[in-house]
Amino acid sequence: MFLDYYNLSPLLMQIHAFLCSVMPEWLALTLEGLVVGVFILVMYAVLAIILIYMERKVCAAFQCRIGPNRVGGKGGLLQVPADVLKILTKEIISLKHSDHFLYALAPFLVILASILTFSCLPWNKGGEILHMNIGIFFVLAASSIGVLGILLAGWSSNSKYTLIGAVRSGAMIISYELSIGLSVLTMVVMSGAMDIQTIVEGQANGWNIFKGHIPAIMAFIIYLIAGNAEANRGPFDLAEAEQELTAGYHTEYSGMHFGFFYLAEYLNLFITAGIATTLFLGGWMPLHIAGLDGLNMVMDYIPGFVWFIGKTFFIVFLLMWIRWTFPRLRIDQVLTLEWKYLMPLSLVVLLLMTVCKVFGLTF
Amino acid sequence: MEIEKITSIIPEAEISQTGETVVKVPAEKLHQIAETLLNDKENPMDFLRDIVGMDWGEEGLGALYLLESTRTGARIILKAVTADREKALLPTVSDLWKTALIKEREVYDFFGICFLNHPDMRRIFLREDWIGYPMRKDYDMNSNPLRMDNEENADMTDEYFLRPDGTLEGRKNVVFGEDDFVVNIGPQHPSTHGVLRMRTSLDGENIRKIDPILGYIHRGIEKMNESLTYPQTLALTDRLDYLSAHQNRHALCMCIEKAAGIEVPERAQYIRTIMDELQRIDSHLLFYSCLVMDMGGLTPFFYGFREREMILDIFEETTGGRLIQNYNMIGGVQADIHPTFQQKVKDFIKHLRSVIQDYHNIFTSNVIADTRLKGVGVLSKEDAISLGCTGGTGRASGWANDVRKHHPYALYNKVDFKEIVYTEGDSFARYMVRMDEIMESCHIIEQLIDNIPEGEFRAKTKPIIKLPEGVFTSSVETSRGEFDVVLESHGDKVPYRLHYRSTGLPLVHAMDTVCRGAKIADLIAIGGTLDFVIPDIDR
Amino acid sequence: MNGFKEYLKGYVGGVKSLLVGMRTSMKVFCQKKITEQYPENRHTTLHIPERHRAMLVMPVDEEGNHHCIACGLCQMSCPNGTIRLTTEMRETEDGKKKKFLVKYEYNLGSCMFCMQCVNACPHNAIQFTNDFENAVFQKEKLVMTLNKK
Repeated sequence: MFLDYYNLSPLLMQIHAFLCSVMPEWLALTLEGLVVGVFILVMYAVLAIILIYMERKVCAAFQCRIGPNRVGGKGGLLQVPADVLKILTKEIISLKHSDHFLYALAPFLVILASILTFSCLPWNKGGEILHMNIGIFFVLAASSIGVLGILLAGWSSNSKYTLIGAVRSGAMIISYELSIGLSVLTMVVMSGAMDIQTIVEGQANGWNIFKGHIPAIMAFIIYLIAGNAEANRGPFDLAEAEQELTAGYHTEYSGMHFGFFYLAEYLNLFITAGIATTLFLGGWMPLHIAGLDGLNMVMDYIPGFVWFIGKTFFIVFLLMWIRWTFPRLRIDQVLTLEWKYLMPLSLVVLLLMTVCKVFGLTF
Repeated sequence: MEIEKITSIIPEAEISQTGETVVKVPAEKLHQIAETLLNDKENPMDFLRDIVGMDWGEEGLGALYLLESTRTGARIILKAVTADREKALLPTVSDLWKTALIKEREVYDFFGICFLNHPDMRRIFLREDWIGYPMRKDYDMNSNPLRMDNEENADMTDEYFLRPDGTLEGRKNVVFGEDDFVVNIGPQHPSTHGVLRMRTSLDGENIRKIDPILGYIHRGIEKMNESLTYPQTLALTDRLDYLSAHQNRHALCMCIEKAAGIEVPERAQYIRTIMDELQRIDSHLLFYSCLVMDMGGLTPFFYGFREREMILDIFEETTGGRLIQNYNMIGGVQADIHPTFQQKVKDFIKHLRSVIQDYHNIFTSNVIADTRLKGVGVLSKEDAISLGCTGGTGRASGWANDVRKHHPYALYNKVDFKEIVYTEGDSFARYMVRMDEIMESCHIIEQLIDNIPEGEFRAKTKPIIKLPEGVFTSSVETSRGEFDVVLESHGDKVPYRLHYRSTGLPLVHAMDTVCRGAKIADLIAIGGTLDFVIPDIDR
Repeated sequence: MNGFKEYLKGYVGGVKSLLVGMRTSMKVFCQKKITEQYPENRHTTLHIPERHRAMLVMPVDEEGNHHCIACGLCQMSCPNGTIRLTTEMRETEDGKKKKFLVKYEYNLGSCMFCMQCVNACPHNAIQFTNDFENAVFQKEKLVMTLNKK
């Protein structure tokens, strides 16, 4: 009964039925596909702008600064759109001694991986774009395409800096995918489903992080660290490592090609946070506290996508906080952290969660 | 004492006592004497402060060797001359002191003196295709057009030695071989702190060899000084190591005052000492900021700058300059301290003491920073002395080399302060030396700030300053090591030769020793902890 | 077993140091920001000390007279050749020949603010001011004539 105020599926069904009544079904599906595609791209761009703006403001506040405050009034709201316009007008430089095809392909691979993963996020009840029964598995698979783009970018640029950056990134992402996989698996064990929508709906009577108590909290932390590494963000940004490799794997890129890497970095941050929200913080589920029915009613009136975006941005802020506090790790430390600390821990957590589940110790 | 030792080996050594004591030894005996002095039992001259190339005109080309004993602090200056201007040869001392490896290259670059058996006789600051030797007095200023083409760096280098029959023979040495994966770190790189270029040979992420290429902002300050009057030369010292601007100028003023016999009023001495220490805090705060940023922590970077800005404001109020202060004058300081100076300095120190814990919380104790700094880039005490790594770098390796303690100047023998010495010699020790020195400098300032005596802030000097003939030196402890001024005067109102000991040159030279086997990320962190400033290296 | 203990200790210590770091950065996050908003604060909080050297001027009294006696000491003392004096010999009322200043040219572009000229001047005819907004689009505009009325 609750949550149904904002369920989008009846509305979408109606639209689909209406379209089918005025045109053949294949046309209706194509049309819907187009609309949804454009919607994803627009959302992607808008979120990127919001995230970049947020990063600049948050980072400024951590550094006792104000941040953008000139373009577009006191808050500097138009700064990022202005930057986007600027980057669109910039020349895309082609290098003489690079592998032209791979060089041009790499940024698209990165952005493709990012968009595919982005499409799986559960925005609202009935508001998911890609829905399949192995959703979370698909997310893991799709996000791995990104590292291919990074490796290709580094290799095809034919520069020593980019090559070192790419190899670092490859080593790092492949390692951290283990931890991500294991912590996701932990939550799959807990929810008993791989379908994202089912996982979210399973949290109607309490978010996983509360229901799964100790193992869930530990898996959450592991996921955040590994996800941060996966998104190539500080303190794991050694693939870019400005102070060592100038810009790492995208040193030789310019214009919108560079823009793609840049966009993907921010969206990957959002996706990492979004998946964390889905798995641990109940996705679009409102906060419910057992026994306080009045409060729960009020919470239900807040639409699901507000919950989802709110929780996701909270995690984004957490990740920014981490990024703007710590110095960068060295490549051997990154690998030590994964193989000596995170991986064993996530195995233990998985075991713990399984035990809890078997003995019914989760709520 | 050392002089007796030298005369016992070669009785014909000439000793000149105008200004500093300079012992002239025959070129062919230089190596033997150097070796004797170095291997002396109770007073080993193990620290080669500097090699100063000279063109004495008629007398020939040559060099001054400034030696010091790290055990007793005794100092001596050797002079070696070769009369042959076409084929100027001196024996190398690079097998005795490693720092001579790079100092002799500098002399070769500027004076064309070839050092026999030196394994690497390349130019250091100027282009490899430079014509002539610019610091010679007969150098034709128009012999080098402005070259716009790329400079190719040779992978081979020359070594010269004498055959037994007295003819010169050359040999090629390899800098980088065919199978070296050489990456250019610099000259345009975010964390070389200026236009320094390090050709780095890599093995995966590990460093095999570093060859620094210098001179991208060489301005020929020493050559310019030869045509400037003494007050005018002061204007250039601030531009050497801009983070030790005040201390550099202090050294030159002291040297000229010593030569001219000018007594500096006590008030000026107090002001100079306080300013020196403020400058040191300023520099070390910047060191913190830059090191943290080099290691990827962008937030603490701003903490350092936040506090440094307050020092710059204090500087500006009194001296009129923030980075380039032009405050010391021959005989005193440019202007009296601003009425608010004392209060502001006291407020600043109070503020600094309250926020310094934040610095340590966010970085020093952080597990990432710890593992990246501890045990990385170890420089042994022997190497530090042999390479001439003075300042915080040497003190982190256990070499007590603080000029303020061992050769006190200004008011340093009147104030109480500790010489910060660590023994680990790793990046973390180098970092901690500087962080501790910030607090020690605060301590020094607190002792002086309330006791500045009334009186003149500048002694009266003649309108035109002429110095007596002779060699004069002075040394100060700048923010990053021992800074020496070597001044040879021929009685004119312009110096015949004015040389500055670069504090950063030995540090850059040490990069190769320290970084071998470390990772690229360590290279950057080590560069940060060695704390060099490029304009000071290139001069 | 001891090794495992060390491992756990490292684990806990590391996590603790990271949390301390995050607490510190959050503290600064909530503090007042230190940015100076330059063009806006020009007439409010901007403080340029009196002694700041930004531009050489030749002060004049009410009638527009300056103290310069055209002795040329400033020109000689400048390490960069920033100052150029044009003088001429004129006969004064009592019949003596005396140097007079025609033009005092000062090139702001090559000045390094070392104070040598001001120190050399025997009559305090020139001084530095803290008027620092001197950027121009043409290099020629940096060559200024100081004794213009």
